[in-house]
Amino acid sequence: MTAPLLAVENLRVTFALPDDPHTAIRAVDGVSFDLAAGQSLAIVGETGSGKTTLARALLGLHPAGAVAGNIRLDGRELTALDEQGWRPIRWRRIALAVQNAGTAFDPVQRAGDQIAEPLREHLGLSGSDAWARALDLAGEMGLGERHLRSYPHQLSGGEKQRLMLAMALSCAPDILIVDEPTSGQDMLTRAKMLALLDRVRQDTGISLLLISHDLAAVARLADRVAVLYAGKLAEVGPARDVLQRPRHPYTWGLLNAYPNMSTARDLRGVRGGLPDPAHPPAGCRFHPRCTQAVDECRRVDPPLQPVRDRLVACHLGGLQTLLRVDRIAKTFSLNGNGFRVEAVRDASLDVLEGEVVAVIGETGSGKTTLGRLVAGMLDPESGAIAFREQDVSDLSGAALKSVRRQVQLIPQDPFDTVSPRLTVAEIVREPLDVQRIGAPADRVAAVREALAAVGLPDGDSFLTRRPHELSGGQLQRVVIARALVLEPKLIVADEPVSMLDASEQAKLINLLKDIQNERGMGLLLISHDVALVRKVADRIVVMRDGAIVESGPASRVVTRPQHAYTRALLGAAPSFDWFEDPGPASGA
Amino acid sequence: MQITLPQAARAVRRPHAPAAIRRLAASLGGEGVIGLALLGAFAIVGIAAPLLAPYDPADFSGAPLERPSAGHRLGTNDVGQDILSELIVGARISLAVAIGAAGGAVLLGLLVGGVAGYAGGWLDTALMRLVDVMMALPQLPLLILVTALLGAGLGQMALVFAALFWPGMARVIRAQVLSLRRRGYVAQARSFGAGPVYILRRHILPAIGPLIVFGLVTAAGRAVVFEAGLAFLGLGDPTAKSWGLMMRYALNLPGLLLTDRWLWWLLPPGLCITLLILALNLLGIGLENHLDPRLKRP
Amino acid sequence: MKSRFALTLLSLWAVLTLNFLLPRWLPGDPLAALLDPDSSSYVYNAEVRGALEAYYGLDRPLGEQYAGYLTGALSGDLGRSIRLNQPVTDLLREHLPWTLLLTLSALIAASLLGVIAGSEAAWRRRSPVDRALVVVSVVASNAPVFFTGMILLILFGVELRWLPLAGGRTPFARYDNTLAQVRDYGAHLLLPALTLTLALVGSKFLLVRNSVIGVLGEDFMLVARAKGLPPRRLKRNHALRNAIVPFVHHLAAHAAFAITGALFIETLFQYPGMGRLIFESVVARDYPVIQGVFLVVSVLVLGANLLADWLTARLDPRTQEN
Ligand code: SF4
Repeated sequence: MTAPLLAVENLRVTFALPDDPHTAIRAVDGVSFDLAAGQSLAIVGETGSGKTTLARALLGLHPAGAVAGNIRLDGRELTALDEQGWRPIRWRRIALAVQNAGTAFDPVQRAGDQIAEPLREHLGLSGSDAWARALDLAGEMGLGERHLRSYPHQLSGGEKQRLMLAMALSCAPDILIVDEPTSGQDMLTRAKMLALLDRVRQDTGISLLLISHDLAAVARLADRVAVLYAGKLAEVGPARDVLQRPRHPYTWGLLNAYPNMSTARDLRGVRGGLPDPAHPPAGCRFHPRCTQAVDECRRVDPPLQPVRDRLVACHLGGLQTLLRVDRIAKTFSLNGNGFRVEAVRDASLDVLEGEVVAVIGETGSGKTTLGRLVAGMLDPESGAIAFREQDVSDLSGAALKSVRRQVQLIPQDPFDTVSPRLTVAEIVREPLDVQRIGAPADRVAAVREALAAVGLPDGDSFLTRRPHELSGGQLQRVVIARALVLEPKLIVADEPVSMLDASEQAKLINLLKDIQNERGMGLLLISHDVALVRKVADRIVVMRDGAIVESGPASRVVTRPQHAYTRALLGAAPSFDWFEDPGPASGA
Repeated sequence: MQITLPQAARAVRRPHAPAAIRRLAASLGGEGVIGLALLGAFAIVGIAAPLLAPYDPADFSGAPLERPSAGHRLGTNDVGQDILSELIVGARISLAVAIGAAGGAVLLGLLVGGVAGYAGGWLDTALMRLVDVMMALPQLPLLILVTALLGAGLGQMALVFAALFWPGMARVIRAQVLSLRRRGYVAQARSFGAGPVYILRRHILPAIGPLIVFGLVTAAGRAVVFEAGLAFLGLGDPTAKSWGLMMRYALNLPGLLLTDRWLWWLLPPGLCITLLILALNLLGIGLENHLDPRLKRP
Repeated sequence: MKSRFALTLLSLWAVLTLNFLLPRWLPGDPLAALLDPDSSSYVYNAEVRGALEAYYGLDRPLGEQYAGYLTGALSGDLGRSIRLNQPVTDLLREHLPWTLLLTLSALIAASLLGVIAGSEAAWRRRSPVDRALVVVSVVASNAPVFFTGMILLILFGVELRWLPLAGGRTPFARYDNTLAQVRDYGAHLLLPALTLTLALVGSKFLLVRNSVIGVLGEDFMLVARAKGLPPRRLKRNHALRNAIVPFVHHLAAHAAFAITGALFIETLFQYPGMGRLIFESVVARDYPVIQGVFLVVSVLVLGANLLADWLTARLDPRTQEN
C-alpha cells in the first residue's frame, strides 16, 4: 500500500484557558487517521467535540506549542514547522473553507482580490493573471466578473459560499478541509452546497476532509467517517457502514438524534451532555452518558481498536449484542392427538444495546411464542438463545438466575399476570422478594423508584391500592414497573398496549422509549400494529406462520418492503387517507 | 407590599461581605477595582477635609513662599496660605462639581432619552436631532464662552456642565428603552398583567441601572477635567480654590519654574487632578466591561 | 453622507445662533455691562465703545440684531476686540495658523504613533511590552494637558535647557535663510506639539489596539492566515485595513479634543495661537474675541467631523450602500 497523502498520528491540541492560564484544555487528545489521495473523510461529532480545533491544527493555525503528535503530508512531518514553514503548505497543499462564508471574506476588500491574493502569493501570478484565474474559478461556480468586483456585503449568502469554494480551490490544493459546510442553512441551500461539493470532488479528485455534524452531508460526501467525542475518536469506518450500523454507543446516539426523511421514528438525544473540557471524566470519556458502561469504563480509557470492519474505542467492542437468537424452533402438540403445530420455525434475530426490535405479524404467526422463548418461559427445541453472548442453555444455577433477571417480559394482558389480591406495592416488589434482592427497606425504596420511573404516584395511598382499583393504563404501568425493579437489560414486550385506548397507547410507548433512553436496554416489541411500531422501532422483523419472512432497518422495511406479506400488513395499517379518497359526499 | 418585604429581607441577608466584594471585584476587573479604590480615597479626603487639613486654607498661616517644613508640609503660597490645606480642601471642590454635574447630566439624559424612546414619532426625531447637534458642538470653547459671560460660581459651573453632558446619556438611554420595548420579556410581563410600576422596577431599572452608574462616572470624569481646565484658564470660581486654580496662581508667580518651588506648589495639585481623572476613567473601563460582555477586552 | 451634511449645516446654524443668543440671554447682562458706566467692565475707550454698540446693536429689535449678526458673520465681520481695538477677524487670521500648525502636527504624530504601536501591541497582546504600553497610555491620556505640558516644560526647557521655554518663534529674530526659520519655528513647536501628541496618542493607541484585537478574532483573519499569506500582508492588508475604519471614524472626536488641548497648551507655552488669544481675552472680558474663537473652533470641529465621515465612507465599502 502506498503511503497516504495525509497521516495524522496521536495528534493532541492543548490550550490554556484565557482567564485561567493554569487550567489546560486538551481539545484534541490523541487522534490518528489517514487520508488517501482522492478520498473523502468526514469527522463528525457534537459542537465542542474538537472538530474545528482539529481542522485548524492541520493548517498549523494554533499558537506555537499547542499541537503535539504527528501530521505527515506526503510523508513530510508538519508539526515541527514554524509559521514561516507552514506558509507554503497552507492553501497550496491544504485549503480551508470555513463554516460561515459570510465571515470568511474581509469586509473591506473586493471578493475577487481576496481570491486572487493566494494566487499571487503562492503561484507568483501577476495581478492581472491572478485576476483572470479568479475569474475562471468563479466561472466554474457559475459566477462572473460582477461578483468578483463586489464587496462581500453586496453578495448573497449563496454567492459568498460559492466564492469561498472558488477561493479555497484557487491554488488547486491536494486537500480541502470543509468546516460545517451546511450548518445554519435552509434545506435547499444545503442541498445546493452539497451538490456543489460533490461536483468539485468528482471534477478535481481533491481529497476532502469534511468537518460536520450534519450526517446527511456526511452520507452524501464521505467515503469514511471518523466520530469524534470530547477530543478523542470513538469510531472510524466506512461511511455507509458506520451510518447504517453504528457500533460505538455514541455514534448510535448521534444517529438517533439526527432527523432525517427516511425514518418515521421519533428523535432521541444522547442523554446528558458533553463533559467539561477542562476536567474530562476518567476512563472512557463517554461513560457518564453510556448506558452500557461497566466498571472498567470508569477506570481505563479504551483504545481505538479494530472491530470487524472498523475501528471502535470501546471496552465492549461497541454496542453489545444483548440477545442473539439463532435458528430456534418450537412445536406444540394439539389436543394430545399427535397433531403438532410448528409455532416457531428456524427463527433468528439480534437485539443490540439501546435498540428497539419489533416483531410484527398476525395473530397466530408465532410472535408471542418467540417472545416467550426469549423470556425463558419456554425452551426451544432446537437452535440457541444467547444473552450477552452467553448461550442460555449452557447456564444453570446463579448464572441462569442472573440472566432470567436481566430479561423481563411485559405481558399483553396485565390483569392476567397480577394477582387481584395483592397491593400495588406487593405486585411490584414480588420479583425482588422472589430473587431475594436487598433488605426489605431497600425493596420498598426500589418500588417507589420504579413507580416514579413509569410516571405513577409513589405515595403510600397508591402503594396500597389493589388491581381492580386501577385503570388499564395504570395497571400496565404497574406491570412495567414490576419489570423495571430488577433493572433488566432486555425487555420483551408482548403487545404491551393493545388493551389500551389510542391516547394511553401513545403515552406508554413514549414512556418505554424514555426509560430505554435513560437506562439503556434492548426492547423486543411484539406487536401486530405496524403504525405504532414504526414510530419506535429501529429494526422490524416480520413473522408469518412461525417463520421470519423479512427483517431489516425499520425505515427500509416500511418504505421498501421486500416480501408480499409485509406489503399486505403495511397496506392494512390504518391511515387517514381523506385526501386521496373522494368519498361518497364529494362524489355526489 | 407583602411581596417587597421578604424580598428586601432576602436582599439584606444574601451577600456575605467578603463574597460580595469578591463578586464586585470580579465584575469590575483590575482597572475598575483600582479606580474604585482611588475614588474612595479621594471621597474620604473630601468628606473629612476640615478634620484633615492642618490649617484653614484661607488663613495666612505662615510667611509667604515658605519651603516645606514640619509646620507646613508643602510650604506656603505667595500670600502665606498652607498649600497642603488648600490641596485637601480642593478635593471637596472637584468632587462637589463632579457630583453636581454628573447628577444633573444623568437626570437630564434619563428624561430626554426616556421621553424620546417612549414617545417615539416626531418628538423622538426632534430630540435626537438636538442630541446630534449638541454632540457635534465643541464643548470646551462653548464652556469658555458661557463661563466667561456668566462669571461662574461652582453651582453655575455644575449646571452648565450638566447642560452640556446630557446628550450622550440621552442617546444611550433611548437605545436601551427602545430595545426593552422590543424585547419579549416586557411584553410577556404585561401579558401576565404586570403594571407599569412592576415593569419599571423589575425589568427597566435593572437594564438601565448599570447605564446610569456608567453615565455618572464618565460625566464626573469630564466635569473634573473641565473644572480644572476652566480654573486653570482663570474662568473658575475665584472664591473656591480648586486644584486647577491653585496651579493657575502658582503659574502666575513670575519665574516659578526656575526654582524648585513648583515641586510642592504645582506638582501636587496636578498629580491630584490626574489621579482623580484616572480613578474615574478606570472605574468607567471596569463598568463598561461589566455593562456589555461583548466589550470585554480579550 | 447626505444626512451627515445636513447635520453639519444644522450644527453650524446652532453654533451661530448660540453665539448670538448666549451673550444676550445669559443672566447678568454681560453685554450691557460693557456699556454701563457704573459697571466694573465698562469700556472707557469711546471709539471702541462705539464699535461695540454698533456691532451688538442692543437697542434694536432682536430679529433685526439677529439678521445683522448673521449677515455680518457670514461676510466675515465678527466685531472688534475691546482689548486691542482690532477687528476680531484680523486677530483670528493672525492666530489661527499657529493653532492649526500645532494641532495638525500633533494629530499626525499621534496618529502615526498610535497606529503603529497599537497594531504591534495587538499582535503581541499580553506580552510585557503590550501591558506596559496599555498602562502608560491610560495614564498619559488621563493627565490634563496643562499638567503634562508643565512637566515637559520643566524637564526640557528649564532643567535640560534644550528647547525654548515659550513663544512660537524667537522674538525679533531675522532669518538668514528658510532653513534657519524652519529650525527656529520647529524648536518652538516641539514641546507644545510633544505635549499634545502625548495627550492624544494614548487613546489612539488603545483604540487601534482594541480594534486590531477585535479584527484578529474574525474568521476572515483565520482564512487569511490559512491562505499562507506573509505576516506583513496579514497585518497591513487585512488587520490594519479593517481596524483603521473605527480609527478614522473617531478622528473627528480626536480633532475636537486636539483643538481643545491646543488651547490649554498654547496658554501654558505662550504659543501665539488661539488659546493664547482666548486666555488673554478672558482676562480682559473681551467678549467679541471669545465669541469669534468659539465660532472658528466650532467650524473646525464640524469640518473635521464631516471629513472623518467622508473618509470612513471611502475606507469602508459597507457604508457606501444606498
Ligand atoms: S461501554 Fe464503556 S468503553 Fe464502551 S462506550 Fe460505553 S463507557 Fe465507553
